[in-house]
Amino acid sequence: MSPGAAVKLTIDGRETSVAPGTTIFDAARGLGIEIPTLCHAQHQTPVGVCRVCTVEVKNNRVLAAACVRPAEDGMIVATATDGVQRARRTLVELLLSDHPSPCARQRATGDCELERLGAGYAVTTPRFGHHDASRGRDESSFFIAVDHTACILCDRCIRGCSEVKNNFVIGRTGKGHQAGIAFDTDVPMAASTCVGCGECMVSCPTGALTNRKIVDVDPPAGEEMSAEQLQKLDIFKRMSGTFLDLNRGAVVRRRFEPGEIICREGDFGSTAFYILSGKVQVSLATPMGHSSTRRGQPGGGKGFFRKLTELVLSDATPAPAAAAPRYIPIDASVDLELSNPVAELGAGDLFGEMTCLSFYPRSATVRAVEETEVLEMLRNVLQMLQKDKVFKALLDRRYRERALDTHLRTVPIFNTLSQDFVRRLRDRVELVRFEPGQVICRQGEQADSLYLIRIGFVKVSQAFPGGDMVLRYLTRPDYFGEIGLLGGEGVRTSTCTSLDHVEAVRIKAEDFHLMLREFPDIQTRLAEVAQARLEADAKQRQTVGTVQLDDFLSQGLMEAQNLLVIDLERCTRCDQCVRACAAAHDGVTRLVRDGLRYDKFLVATSCRSCRDPLCMVGCPVGSIRRHPDSLEIIIEDWCIGCGLCANQCPYGNINLHPFMVNAEDPEQPGMRKAVVREKATTCDLSRDYSEPACVYACPHDALHRIEPLKFFGIAK
Amino acid sequence: MLIDRSHRGWIIGCLVVLAAATAIYVPYVRHALNGPSGGSAVGLTFGVVGFALMIFAGALGARRKVPTWQIGRGTFWMRGHIWLGLLSFPLILFHGGFRLGGPLTAVLMILFGIVIVSGILGVLLQQVMPRLMLTRVPLETVYEQIDSIVLQLRGESDELVAAACGPLLVDTPPAPAERRAGGGLVDRVGQPRSTPRAHPAPLAPTPESAVLRDAYLTEIRPFLDPLVHGNGVMLNPARAATLFRELRTALPPLLHNTVSELEATCDERRQLRDQKRLHHWLHGWLLVHIPLSLALLLLGTAHAVIALRY
Repeated sequence: MSPGAAVKLTIDGRETSVAPGTTIFDAARGLGIEIPTLCHAQHQTPVGVCRVCTVEVKNNRVLAAACVRPAEDGMIVATATDGVQRARRTLVELLLSDHPSPCARQRATGDCELERLGAGYAVTTPRFGHHDASRGRDESSFFIAVDHTACILCDRCIRGCSEVKNNFVIGRTGKGHQAGIAFDTDVPMAASTCVGCGECMVSCPTGALTNRKIVDVDPPAGEEMSAEQLQKLDIFKRMSGTFLDLNRGAVVRRRFEPGEIICREGDFGSTAFYILSGKVQVSLATPMGHSSTRRGQPGGGKGFFRKLTELVLSDATPAPAAAAPRYIPIDASVDLELSNPVAELGAGDLFGEMTCLSFYPRSATVRAVEETEVLEMLRNVLQMLQKDKVFKALLDRRYRERALDTHLRTVPIFNTLSQDFVRRLRDRVELVRFEPGQVICRQGEQADSLYLIRIGFVKVSQAFPGGDMVLRYLTRPDYFGEIGLLGGEGVRTSTCTSLDHVEAVRIKAEDFHLMLREFPDIQTRLAEVAQARLEADAKQRQTVGTVQLDDFLSQGLMEAQNLLVIDLERCTRCDQCVRACAAAHDGVTRLVRDGLRYDKFLVATSCRSCRDPLCMVGCPVGSIRRHPDSLEIIIEDWCIGCGLCANQCPYGNINLHPFMVNAEDPEQPGMRKAVVREKATTCDLSRDYSEPACVYACPHDALHRIEPLKFFGIAK
Repeated sequence: MLIDRSHRGWIIGCLVVLAAATAIYVPYVRHALNGPSGGSAVGLTFGVVGFALMIFAGALGARRKVPTWQIGRGTFWMRGHIWLGLLSFPLILFHGGFRLGGPLTAVLMILFGIVIVSGILGVLLQQVMPRLMLTRVPLETVYEQIDSIVLQLRGESDELVAAACGPLLVDTPPAPAERRAGGGLVDRVGQPRSTPRAHPAPLAPTPESAVLRDAYLTEIRPFLDPLVHGNGVMLNPARAATLFRELRTALPPLLHNTVSELEATCDERRQLRDQKRLHHWLHGWLLVHIPLSLALLLLGTAHAVIALRY
């Protein structure tokens, strides 16, 4: 069998083929065969400690735990033979003999997974007697009660805490009958570093971790819904009643009249919305007002004279226009067209995920078009929904139907794909989610997919002597993983890690290669981009290797690609540079003649075109990016002025400037009035001119735009 | 502008033109029957060329109003301004035959002389002042922000002394939030970055703190007023150092940190004061140079019109 080829096996007499590495449990689930389990949860790494999922593999001496045993070619599996059922019953009996039946969960909601399983196997009185000795309770926490006696050591809480939430608070302690879970160094839960996220409680299959009272959340305003009401809705019917009860108030129903605004672009929030009925319009007001953003533009005769003189005198050589994006990515299952940034969403659509999960500002304004009913939910509920495979499949389907096409078109390299191929791809790509900090692919691993980022930010780093080095941050419409797929060895050349909640479209290696075969021009362009990236990485490595890191690090200059440096021995502080900058940018300067000093040089407060542009991380509408053909950071017209980039820039080089825009008057619906909006601005190296305006205008030859390497050459 | 090797081309060019003009002027003076005259063909040529150079030099001001026009780099215009402006002076002298002429031309020549001298002074100041500012004012900031930063310094010092000595009962208007001086410094030991200080924690009251309070209110605080310019003790670094040394002697060790903080604040204030002073020197000469240059060009034009017309 060739490596990477599908694995064929037979389960309960039915043949199936799965990807290498798939477990028997998942292969059976694919066939619709349910295998009972206690310790296994779909979103957690399988550990196989409860053994309840035990199955019989033909010609194997012992039974195998389906959740951890990988499928093998030609394997014949039986999931429900008498022997298997007997083994499972015995296991359940053993577990029940050490379980305080009915446990707190069973008493409260009747859904203790162990006791339910016991009932399924008709275990009434365990053959092995019953241990009455308590292993203790921990009621130190205000909202989670811990009953160690009810714990079956399935480790689901440990994995929930560490893998899902990355809190690493819960672990194992003790031996034999005293074995149990512990918080930090076996301290009471309230005294531990537990953040009270409730993930352990939700993960626990028994009554070992239960809710003491409702979590103190700041619920959204609206009609509160009970667990029973929610479970009647399609999207919540597979969710645990315990969880919904526990999070009462975290989901509310809200009704909006036509024209009413549901959320406004730039606002901060912490909720996502699911449309139950009705229709909403998603729009961006800011770009439509951009034509009037120019400040200090003289009007009348002076303006005419200026235009005329510019026309006659200016030999400005405008920089080549950036590849003009056609769509604006927003926090919903649709993209907005740049020329007309308006779209509609309807029943079954979810929006506001990024705001909810990562607390980014709202990326667009959403208003009801007709009477609309939405569910507004907090993060813990949304995360539970995302774990629900049926709901995820529904979102995936909607995404494939509505947004995949435009998403692919927003990636410049793929905009020549034929409609046929996109249709074919639609059924084969996978929408994958990654938690913050999760490694998506690791340097040196076998490359198996290409990823197109849909939501969130991905850090690309490379192992380097002395530690990892960040090469770049990627966000939509970027993609990654192509270098490994194009390279001869087929291994990843860098490590990609999600910075926040990342959603990406995964194109498998075989589809990727098929695409390259059918569209050779894409292969050429991909190869060019990959080559450019590799060269940039090599240059960066060389820079770090040849320059004294102390000098760079001491002032954060290691990240810079281009510094605005003022020779203070030459500078007469005439501020001509500041005036020139203002003149080149409609009256608003992007340069402050102050900043870090290095010997006789002043590194002015002006964009450094960082190698590691932190400012780009988090932009809710992806309006800040690097110029595709050069190194400067540009802020696109559709910036909504949320100020996140300005806060992110460690050097204070991004500012928000007010401008007037004609917007709808909230007090008089249907009327418009001039309002002040803000947009972020940063040095764009005067890209409409042959060189930066400040440098060109300096009469004393004191100002230079210079690479850090050259600068340090001078300074030394 | 710093005069360095990059000016060599301009200097040589101007010297060549001057030598050529002198080579024309000397035989012209020798052979002119009635002596050199501005109205003769040669004299008029000197006048036209000289005035043209004056206009070019004067155009620098206009050029600066439109910094984004792609009509030559700022350095080109500044070098042209310096060297061609300087060259225009001997040419105009050749034009007038080294005589003052009538009242208008006499005024013109006096104005021209002052403009040239003030210009040379300006160039000389630009050679020295930026370097002085670099060494004397490591905590240099944007000139326009000096007063508000001084207010910030005073507010912080008030808090500092109040924490050590109890309420000061002085009016402390809120200081505007401005970027602090210096930004950041490297390779300058002992002169760290100036950053806003955190709110100090109140100290246990001691009887000796009255000394600190008195010294602060009488000597230090007035020095931290952006509007007060003269203060003998704090202005002089040596006398200020003596005052702080005496304070340390008189005060318990608990208050020594407060004294050190005040000393550093006064040092920053002194630097900002120096910056202001140097800035005035660096730009003050323009108050003479620019208006007189404008007047010179205006009167020069009038002189040209009158001379050619009548």
